[in-house]
Order: sequence, then structure tokens, then C-alpha cells
Amino acid sequence: MDPNIMQPQSLEMKQDGDKFVIPIGPQHPALKEPGHFEFTVDGETVTGATVRLGYVHRGIEKGAESRSYVQNMYLVERICGICSHIHATAFCQGVEQLAEVEVPPRARAIRTIIAELERIHSHLLWLGVAAHEAGFDMLFMYTWRDRETVMNLLEGITGNRVNYSANLLGGVKCDLTPEIITAIRTGLDFLEERTQHYLEVVTTDAMFLRRTQGIGVMTREQAESLGVVGPTARASGVARDVRVDSPYAAYSEFPVTMVVDPAGDLLARCVVRVKELFECYRVIREMLEHLPEGDLTTRMPRRIKPAETISRVEAPRGELLYFIKSNGTDTPERVKVRTPTLPALASVAEASVGHQLADIPMIISGIDPCFSCNDRMFTINDTRGNDKTMSWEALRQYGIEFYK
Amino acid sequence: MTTEALLDTGRELIAPWTKEIAEPEARRLDAVIEAGDLLAAVEALHNAKWGYLSAITGLDQGVEAGIIEVLYHFCNEAAVLTLRVRVPREAPVVPSLYGLIQSVTFYERELMEMLGVTVTGTPNSDRLFLPEDWPDGVYPLRKDFRMEQLHEA
Amino acid sequence: MTLNLDKSWQHVLDQVKTWARVNSPWAIHFNSGSCNGCDIEILATLTPRYDLERFGVKLQGSPRHADVLICTGPVTRQARERLIRIYEQMPEPKFVVAVGSCALTGGAFHGCYNIMGGIDQVIPVDAYVPGCPPRPEAIIDGVVKLLTALQASVKAGEKVPVADPGKPEEEAIA
Repeated sequence: MDPNIMQPQSLEMKQDGDKFVIPIGPQHPALKEPGHFEFTVDGETVTGATVRLGYVHRGIEKGAESRSYVQNMYLVERICGICSHIHATAFCQGVEQLAEVEVPPRARAIRTIIAELERIHSHLLWLGVAAHEAGFDMLFMYTWRDRETVMNLLEGITGNRVNYSANLLGGVKCDLTPEIITAIRTGLDFLEERTQHYLEVVTTDAMFLRRTQGIGVMTREQAESLGVVGPTARASGVARDVRVDSPYAAYSEFPVTMVVDPAGDLLARCVVRVKELFECYRVIREMLEHLPEGDLTTRMPRRIKPAETISRVEAPRGELLYFIKSNGTDTPERVKVRTPTLPALASVAEASVGHQLADIPMIISGIDPCFSCNDRMFTINDTRGNDKTMSWEALRQYGIEFYK
Repeated sequence: MTTEALLDTGRELIAPWTKEIAEPEARRLDAVIEAGDLLAAVEALHNAKWGYLSAITGLDQGVEAGIIEVLYHFCNEAAVLTLRVRVPREAPVVPSLYGLIQSVTFYERELMEMLGVTVTGTPNSDRLFLPEDWPDGVYPLRKDFRMEQLHEA
Repeated sequence: MTLNLDKSWQHVLDQVKTWARVNSPWAIHFNSGSCNGCDIEILATLTPRYDLERFGVKLQGSPRHADVLICTGPVTRQARERLIRIYEQMPEPKFVVAVGSCALTGGAFHGCYNIMGGIDQVIPVDAYVPGCPPRPEAIIDGVVKLLTALQASVKAGEKVPVADPGKPEEEAIA
């Protein structure tokens, strides 16, 4: 086999007539974790897509069964480095429900503030990535520069830039001091001003609009039937947000407003995420204003009586569902994690059909895949036996050139 | 609609097939149904547009119990309705929901490779997460899974 | 490329090559099972705050163009083959930097069924950057230390170090 060509091992080569199968193999130079897509194309138009994951499958659900609840806190945080806090929050809340422990209000508010800061960093990160895929590296650099502001705040609160480990079973580890509250306020003011600018860029820049407007459209019906969650669903007019539907942590005291856009295209996904940032700033300010006093932790039993629970939270990418079964010991019997990316991946198949090959990088990054997705080497298997190899970089470049 | 009203509607929709029903927590319903009735119950929920299928959990009850439970979690705003299907551990078979909900294939592929549950009628039974050289017949999320099984293979 | 040069010219050519390599190493990044935490920190090193490009480091898409392989995450069974293939595709001399606790030992995922262990279980590693995830400064420091070691060994007239499989070369960066 030619070592130049990354041959995916699980190819169902569906070649009929002049259609090619394009496997998007499992590595990406810059951002994403590995995953594997196969797109069937007819000329330039995509006619179908399938997904193969597992390049980052580590066996966490099984691993969780051999670790205690406290150890699992550290394991679930490392399911995803971008949305680590929300994973820990979902797990904590599940275990607290099982133990019937009430978390003090201040701890709940701090959890929520960190979760919202994490959402800011995740959305800014995503905006940068989307801009990069569209060939708009200027916006990518700007958003990532501004993202450092929120990374600083997170580091100031928790001591780490990523995997903050702020949650404890029964509370949080870190308090908000007056100094850090002032720092958060200053940071948010700066970010709000910048976000205003980004909203303007995203909605008015002609080049960016050509790459996003009317591309990768997912209708409301499609989104509903696919069970898509999070900003991807909200950009298709599906009003689904766990923070609103089933308030957890401090969201019942500090409600958020859902941002919904009926358009369903990539532009809508950009706009929804950027507008959500404003909502994040508002709700964090409100929580800082009315931060409840009191304890940070409460007592947790080490052993949890046998029961089952479901814990749902709104991760930056959508609904995250934890199913936890306890068995009376200090280790869980079963932990099931359903990440928001899984249903969103199905939408890639739907949304990409009928589009130009050049739009694929944008469509894939449009769902903000988390454990995930794109890759570097493409093998274009020609029915006439002339194989062409295209790197992700080359495909991205192709996408940029295509729209020049 | 309030969460209670949603749960009541859900309870009524699946009532013809429900064997046992419980409210383990606030905002949650847990209904046990037969594998043969699964499609009918899901169709009832789907036709009434009651929420969306959020996840499928496979739950191995261990060698002694000899049962694998397959849990279908439907979420509708704050309400969560779980359909619990019990299948024998020796020959676990559930029907595919693909005819009703196309996006279900990922969940079903995961269920097949992780717990060895056969899902009849699912369009794609390839592995989703496990590596290509993973030995056949070894299911990591079963309770009797041992690392040695991998080394032996 | 083989040139029939006499020894002194060969030495000059080697020096020029090393000079170029040290001043502008091209890196490729591969995630073999990481949680993404290290990956975004690697990316953060390229963005304006840290700006790794001022050292001439460029993140490259293709292993064919890369001098340094930056690996994150424990090696999963599925990614193992890919990692080896990427490593083999890189031209000699090549260097591997393992970033993050998982890449060093398997970290938090130790004992999970789909994990082979750290990167050095699969390919030779030249520099280790610990941390979960390491700060961008630490990643930059790791790469710079690797380059310094490279420069020093060339000055001392040694051959450019190419690690033995399975033998960590921690001394090289000490």
C-alpha cells in the first residue's frame, strides 16, 4: 500500500457510476481530535456521509466502574478538555441526587459562574475555528487573543487554565474573592465590547457571509427528528436548552434567555453562539451582583445507596446526559455519558447532502464537534483507478479558493 | 405544559404496553416494557411528538441475574421518560428504532459493540468506537469483562 | 540525496542543515486519544498571546514536511497504527515531543481497556512535557529545550540524536 495514502481501515467502498467515496481520515493538524467521516460525492456534490469514531475512545465508562466517586470526578473532567467543568458538574449533580444532598446556594452559584465562563471560552474558541475553516484567519487570531482574557479569569478562580477541577461532591473547591470579582467584571466589559464587534463582522463581512449564508441548512423538522441539541438545534429554530427547560444549579434563581434563530444555516449557528455570549455576560454579572453568602461545601456520604439517576446539563455544545447507577458502595455500578456531539454528528450527514465538497470543512465545524471530527488525509478513490490524495489542509485551501 | 402534565401524557401514551411503571425521582418516569412492544410504544411517543430520544443506555445486571437492560431515555423539556427493556443475557435482542428515528444508528451501534446486544434491522452494524482488531465476542461494558480477554486474543 | 562531498564540506552542509532546522522547525500535531485539553493549549501557543511562530515554529498539516511530532493523549488501540504511520512518514531526522500527563504515562486513563499507555510505548520520544494540561509556556519551553539540545549536540560534533525505540532520551534535554 502506498504509505502516502492514509487508507482508512473500515471502508465500505460504495462506488456506483461516477460517485466517489471520500474518507476523511483520522487526524487533523491543528484543532480537533480524530474521527472519521466518509462522504460520497457525485462530481463536486456530496450525496451521502457516514461516520466512524473511536480514535479517542478510551473506555471511560468502564473505567468509571472501577474508580470511586471522588476519583471519578477527575476522570470525567478529562472526557473533554474544552467542556471539562460541565462534565464534572453533571456527574456531581447526579451523585448528589443519588445521595439526596442539597448543595449550598453559594456553591451552586459559583458552579454556574464557572460553567458560563467555560461557555464563553468554548464559544470564542469555536468562532475562531469556524473562521479558520472559512479562511478568515484574522478573525481566528483575534478571537483566540480575546479568549485568553477568559482563560485568565478561569485560572484566577481555579488555578488552572483547562480541567479546572472546581467541583467537589457536595460543593465547590474555590471561592470568589472580591479581587477576582472585580477582575471578572473588567474582563466581561472588555469581552462584551469585542463580542459586539464579532457580531458585526459575522453578520456583515461579505466573504464570511458567502461561506455561511444558506450553507448546511438544517430545517426545524430535520433538527427535531434527529434529536439535535444545543446551539445547533437552536439555530434551526428548535427551542431546546436544559438551562431553561430543566433549570439546574443556580439557573432557577438566575434564569437565562434562550437564543433561537429559525434560519438553520451556518450563519444562524454563528449568530446563535455569538448572541449566547451576551447572555453569558449578563447572567454572570447578575450572579456576581447577587452572589449568595454561605458555605462552599456540604457533607457527602462516601457510600451511595443503590439507586439510579439521570443528570442533564447544558454543555456549550448542547444537552449532556449522565445516567448513574449506584450500588451501595463507594464506586458507581454504571456511568453512561451521552455527549451532545453524538446527535450533532448525525446532522452532518443530513446537512452536507447536496452541498459542495468545498463546504464540508465549514459544515463539520459548524456543529462544533467535540470528541471528534475532522481530519487531514483525504483519499479520493476514483473509479478509474486514479487515486488522489488530498489533505485536510488542502481541502480547506480548496474551499477558500473555490469561493475566491 | 407543566412537567407533571407532560409526564401524565407520556404515561398515557405508553400505557397499553407498560408492564411496570415507577417514578424514581421527581420529573422522571421509568416504564418496563417487553422487547416485542418497544416499537409500538416508541411509535406512540413519536407520533404524538412527545420529546426526543436523548440516549440509549445498556445496563448489564451481571452474570447471576442473567439480564441486560436497555434503557431508552426520552426527554421532553424537564421530563424524562425511560423505557426499560429487559432481555436475556445469553441472547439479547432488541428491535431497531431506525424506522422511526433515523438518528438512532449511533446509539444502536454503540449498544451492539459495548454490550453485545443484537439490534435487528439497524442499517449499519459496523463498529463505532472499538478498534478494528478488537476480538469478536468481547464486550467491554459487560460485568464479566476482563482485560485478560484482550491479551488472550 | 547523496552528494560526494569531502568531509569538511559535509560538515559545513550539516551545520547549515542544523541551523535551518533549529531556527525553523516545522511541527505536526497528532491527538492519539487526548481529551482535547492539551490540543487547545498547543493551539493557544500559536495565537497572539504566546505566538510560538516567533521561534520559527510552524504547525504543519503533513507529516512529510514536519521535523517535530507533537503528540497528546494516551495511545488508544485504534489510534496506535495511525501514530506509527505518521511517525514513519516523517523524514529523518525527526523528533517527538509528548505533551501532557496522558502522553507521558496514560495519566488519568490508566487502566482503561482501550489504552496502550504513554506515547513512548509506541514510538520513541525525545522530550516530555508534563502537566494536565501543560501551560502554553511549558509547551514552548519543551520545544525550545529540544532545539537547544539539538544545537548543543551538533556543536559538540555529535550526530543529530535520533532516539532508540522504547528508550526515553530524557538526558538529551537535561
